[in-house]
Amino acid sequence: MPEEPLDYFLADKPGAELTHSLIAEASQTLRRNRNEYLATLGNEQIISKLAEVADLWRSPDYPLRQMALDADPEETGFPREVLASGLDACFADWTQEKFFMLLTQEFGDPTRLLSFASQPNRTYSMVNGPQLIAHIAPGNLPVPVFQSIAFGLLLRSAQFVKCASGKSLLPRLFGHSLHFVEPGMATALEIAEWDGGNESLESALFSEADCVTVNGGDKTVELIRQRLPLAKRLAGYGHRVSFGYVEKQANEVMGTQTVISHAADDVVAWNQHGCLSPHVIYVEENSSLNPARFAEMLSGELEARNKTMPRGLISTRESAAISTARRFYKIRAANNASAALWESEGSTDWTVVHEDEKQFQTSPLNRFIFVKPIEHIDEVLHVLEPIRESVSTVGLAASEARMRDLALPLAQWGVPRICPLGQMQRPPLAWRHDGRPPLGELIRWADLETA
Amino acid sequence: MTNFTSLTEACDAVSTFIQRSVGDPHAAGFGELALGLFAFQFAHNTPFANLCQAENLTPETVSDWRDIPTVHTRAFKSLDLSVFLETDRGTLFRSSGTTQVDRSRHFHCAETLAVYHNSLWPWFAGHLVDESANRLLFLFPKLGLAPESSLVHMMDTVAKRLAKREHCFATDGQWRIDGKAAVDFLHDCAMQNEPVTILGTAFSFVHLLDHLDANAMDFQLPSGSAVMETGGYKGRSRDMPRPKLHQAITAKLGVASARIICEYGMCELSSQAYDGKLGQANTAPRLFRFPPWARARVVSPETLVDVELGQAGLLQVVDLANVGSALSLQTEDLARQHACGFELLGRAELAESRGCSLMNLSHA
Repeated sequence: MPEEPLDYFLADKPGAELTHSLIAEASQTLRRNRNEYLATLGNEQIISKLAEVADLWRSPDYPLRQMALDADPEETGFPREVLASGLDACFADWTQEKFFMLLTQEFGDPTRLLSFASQPNRTYSMVNGPQLIAHIAPGNLPVPVFQSIAFGLLLRSAQFVKCASGKSLLPRLFGHSLHFVEPGMATALEIAEWDGGNESLESALFSEADCVTVNGGDKTVELIRQRLPLAKRLAGYGHRVSFGYVEKQANEVMGTQTVISHAADDVVAWNQHGCLSPHVIYVEENSSLNPARFAEMLSGELEARNKTMPRGLISTRESAAISTARRFYKIRAANNASAALWESEGSTDWTVVHEDEKQFQTSPLNRFIFVKPIEHIDEVLHVLEPIRESVSTVGLAASEARMRDLALPLAQWGVPRICPLGQMQRPPLAWRHDGRPPLGELIRWADLETA
Repeated sequence: MTNFTSLTEACDAVSTFIQRSVGDPHAAGFGELALGLFAFQFAHNTPFANLCQAENLTPETVSDWRDIPTVHTRAFKSLDLSVFLETDRGTLFRSSGTTQVDRSRHFHCAETLAVYHNSLWPWFAGHLVDESANRLLFLFPKLGLAPESSLVHMMDTVAKRLAKREHCFATDGQWRIDGKAAVDFLHDCAMQNEPVTILGTAFSFVHLLDHLDANAMDFQLPSGSAVMETGGYKGRSRDMPRPKLHQAITAKLGVASARIICEYGMCELSSQAYDGKLGQANTAPRLFRFPPWARARVVSPETLVDVELGQAGLLQVVDLANVGSALSLQTEDLARQHACGFELLGRAELAESRGCSLMNLSHA
């Protein structure tokens, strides 16, 4: 791999002045490059290259992975160990088989991306991806950006990835690995960074793109929605929250330490950033493992994890959010026998709060978790009614049989993703973000009705 | 250590200290008085005592005022943090908020209220009263319309202390501005060439400026006019960054930026900080200072020890005037420590949560 400085994308050039016309021209070039090359490729060609990129990223010696892990956590948002673990979880799923399964899931027949394929009703259909997708990347996690780029390539779309200022390093490194593996495909990819809301640059991008994807706060999604012409497609993913749920026999079936360990996996993954991490873990009462004991054991596990996978330094603002929340729960715990707090000493590295108050509570994140007792799954659904629309993922600890029993009411209530506790931040490649089809959201179908 | 046997004794001691330290910022005795109040509050404020015992920081083990356990301001929402019996709680200050559980409750009796007055007045007067400002326009409701607002109570006290000055309260009990009354008052000040001090929350200033805009009006208020602005929009108006608000005040009212003073206070505190003084050149960045009877500390959120000069951290305040509740408070504000005061940096909440409507489900 090259030792030279990275210099391919707009975001590689610090201080480069971005203008409306530059963004417009870059977008037109991407579209042209896409038409000339990417659009002519077959599924196998694209998927084999994506799998090759993933192979590189899984390799501990891969220089670009090293660069990511060596980077200042300020720039990536994560300390080395947390980032390494998150990257491994992401790329483990990027196999040729999984990519083909994704195409089959979305389109029935992957060849539909290239030509008409028959449907059960004797008509034919094919799918067309957008010629140019603009991605508004989230500022917290890199995985959604990697996935967005991979999905765009599967759809033969040129892509312009807009990152927040100072947040483009990981997307760029990923882009460079693609450029190394398959320079032709990378000619249809651009990555730039600027602060969101820049009217001049964004109007150029939005007018060139056929489709815009946004991962971010609800406000960001709403603002972009208002600015897009009706004809442009928007795939907007706003802020969601997730929680864990421990069924009362889980510890007997799975072993107490396993359940605790899975809960800790979800709390430390990406330091709880992103919509899939739990804020609260509900633990069923009347179990041999009572919720307060669960909280205490989880605190022991988080202390142990902090040695093998340190949370790392966080910003003063994030740390202050934890510190003030702790202070609040300390006086609460001192005055209420059914509230308790466990915390790392001399730092804000991890915090566990147990309290009887069942209401969903947003955590200040960075390994701060609430543990709350609950009688029954129906009680959770009742308590969570005010945030029904905002739930992303529920991580369940239960036997396989009980898992199905619990999943049904959750799904009927509106939870789009239910997974085993411990897997909350490891959605499969083909998962349906917020219950929406990952590729189906972006494409247009073309039907052919024959006589 | 001072050993207080009654609330009266504690209140008297604090009022005496206030009197003594107004003229002498280096007056000795802060630490001793703080520890005495700590012991008194430990003995009479049960929720606070429970916290101290849980942390093993009690009058027996604490010998430095910096080690007095801090009470999170949010705890005032759910706990009765008061040293006196329910029957003696004559006055209740509540923070703003949409529901009862959202709002802090700070109880006062006649004696602690007197300390509150003794605390607020000299520091206000020292920063916002000079010879030039003659009239007072309060963008606040009258006390009778909002008796549970500590800020309104403070403004009422100010109006009474400056009873010789003509004044006007120009909002209703819902804090809606009476644009006509405000404009008439300002117009008269301008016509008579009488300087005026306008006092209000940030959102009331936005309301006033919007009213002027809507009527295509602006003022060049007489030289010597001044503004006291206290932060917070609380969803009552659009948010405006402070520098922008001040620029608009200067542009629309003709009050120079050196004569716009910000106040920092809250219903859980009995003393206030100001970021400048009329008639004095103010530094940049503008630094807030509490009076000598309230000390601000900026601590590292990781270790809870004082930060170095120039560093940011969480703001804690030990306010001796909080005789009847808890004197050592943990705020939710981020601040930067400077040699002569602190710079406010905003709230200690997560940026990604701030824009999230879920945060309405705040801690009960």
